[in-house]
Amino acid sequence: MSGDVRTHTLGDELLPQEGIAAPRRAPAAPLDDDSRIAVEIRALVEQSRHDEARDRFGELVALHQKRALRIAYQYLRDAAEADEAVQDAFVKVFTHIGSYREAWPFEVWFTRILINGCLDRRKSQSRRERWMVSGEISTADEARLSAAARPADPERRLLSRERRERVADAVDKLDGRQRTIFMLCHYGDCTPREVSAMMGLNESTVRVHLFRAARKLRGLLGGKL
Amino acid sequence: MWSRHAAEQQLYDCYYAERSGETIDPRLAEHLLDCASCSARFASIARLLDEIRTDAAAEADAVFTAERLRAQQQQIARRLEHAARPARVISFPRQAAPRTLASATVRVAPRWIAAAAAAGLFLGVALGASYEWEWHAQPRQARATAASRLTPVATRGTGHVDVAADDAFLSELDAALERPRTRELIAYDALTPHVREVNTLR
Repeated sequence: MSGDVRTHTLGDELLPQEGIAAPRRAPAAPLDDDSRIAVEIRALVEQSRHDEARDRFGELVALHQKRALRIAYQYLRDAAEADEAVQDAFVKVFTHIGSYREAWPFEVWFTRILINGCLDRRKSQSRRERWMVSGEISTADEARLSAAARPADPERRLLSRERRERVADAVDKLDGRQRTIFMLCHYGDCTPREVSAMMGLNESTVRVHLFRAARKLRGLLGGKL
Repeated sequence: MWSRHAAEQQLYDCYYAERSGETIDPRLAEHLLDCASCSARFASIARLLDEIRTDAAAEADAVFTAERLRAQQQQIARRLEHAARPARVISFPRQAAPRTLASATVRVAPRWIAAAAAAGLFLGVALGASYEWEWHAQPRQARATAASRLTPVATRGTGHVDVAADDAFLSELDAALERPRTRELIAYDALTPHVREVNTLR
């Protein structure tokens, strides 16, 4: 992490590890709530007040957990894998909180760690799929999804499942970088500016990738869901 | 007011700007209000992208229920607790450890060796004793006949034919030893001293 200078490549995707990309945030911008908490946690860790730091970290987890799970789940298409990826990202963040700099929004730093973890897992997933039958969604997840899709209308359930699969397949067909940018914008609720900071790209480049991804997706889905 | 329709990328940009709460180009905003075609295109794009987003969020939220989120938070807390605690190396008792190790290595090997040696000795003694006992138990005459059966007896040829046949066989053998029949071995044969030559040199 702090000393770990590595990049991930998946297709044309390239996500620099935290600490490498130049911060794109205006230096005078006030800190977000999460960034402020992260700074406080860092201070607590530096003072060896680990118990307090952990308690405070719980707030950060609660703030970002849902969003992180949405991103990881759409990336990995497996609840257990997404769960682990999010856990790993939070643990990494805590153990390397000393390398966090307030010049970066915490969200950017955290999302970058999360995406890198997801990329690693996707790579290992694709390795596994070479030898095993690829699963779309695990049975337990499917059961949970079915239970959530009330009222229990089999036709609607089937249609919504087909729709999900079509979208997932179409997103999967996007180029690596386009996919990451699209996912961060749509599933992670990030703005193109935030994505540019996460990926170390110009904002205009992100916008172009986003446009291409959305257009390609629209074409793949036939313009409607 | 624009005279032409908005480009596709402008419509997408407009959608993302609207979602991020950024300001939209006022000329484009005005055009979208006036141009039914561009407005319909924009609405179509926005509907599709909104549906993708809300669908994905609903799907993930259905999988990760509040209960599961709580469980994950607890799991993270547990992992952090372990991560914060430095790894503890359990130290072995300084005095006892070398002695135990030495005694273990010393003891295990002789046990096997001793067991194997004892078993071998026992078997050897038992077999030897039984053989000896069997030998002594046999009557002297039987022992003599057995000895005579085991001792090779030189038989003398009785007929003239046998002697002639033996001679023929021996002469053939001599001839075979005289010169090698295999052409490839002649050179080796020439270099190798023969027994008869050695004998004559003496």
